[in-house]
Amino acid sequence: MSEKRKIATTAIPPGTGTYTPAIRAGGFVFLTAQTGRSPETGQLAEGLEGQTRAMLENIDRLLSASGCSRKDIVQVTLLLADIVDFKAVDQLYVEWLPDRGEAPYPTRTAFQAAALPAGARVMMDVVVLFPG
Amino acid sequence: MLSPTNTEATRFGDLLFLEAQTGHDPATGVLPDGVEAQTHALVAKIDAILDRFGSTKADILMVTLVFADIRLFKAVDVIYAAWLPPREEVPLPACTAYAAALPGGALVQAEVIAAVASIPTHPEEPNR
Repeated sequence: MSEKRKIATTAIPPGTGTYTPAIRAGGFVFLTAQTGRSPETGQLAEGLEGQTRAMLENIDRLLSASGCSRKDIVQVTLLLADIVDFKAVDQLYVEWLPDRGEAPYPTRTAFQAAALPAGARVMMDVVVLFPG
Repeated sequence: MLSPTNTEATRFGDLLFLEAQTGHDPATGVLPDGVEAQTHALVAKIDAILDRFGSTKADILMVTLVFADIRLFKAVDVIYAAWLPPREEVPLPACTAYAAALPGGALVQAEVIAAVASIPTHPEEPNR
């Protein structure tokens, strides 16, 4: 008997692999890493900025389906296909996060991977503390 | 084979954080040939560690899969999917997968977060 709970949602890109988009267990929610794929078409958005914005929107949808919000994020792993893109992605990420007066910034790990799935330029996974 | 800076897993409350595993033999340190053999060895090691901490593969919450080459994704995923309990019975873990250079020449590595004991259930899960 497992105590983990699947968060079901159709609001993110269709699944292509062996995973659940989000799992809640106790006080934590674990989100499967998101890229900038469109939920409707499954296609990657154009360009680094397009992919980053689409990725953050996918995370928003998963957070919402999980009953959480951006301010509940505790840990972020940010993966890049090219470390040169870090600054541009970070700028969009910071704008996306709540003001640090409202919630502390999540801890974060960021690095360049040798390659990301399906040719994505940016990918992010998130651990969230369930509110309350 | 554990180096002095490795610990198999650390437990915090009902959560168990496993050291990233590769297919290296825990006794001899020998790495099996080929991605299939390494993946089978790797999941067997994860089973053993989970068992030692009173957990099972049905309790895995999050997995980070790392490949020496992104083209190995499919071959690993087939074995990974067959290893996990059927998705009709237990939700699949959340997952992150990417390619990176791995220690000791490994072709695949997996890091696991699992539940240990009675984590409260949430029957009123939002579903949008």
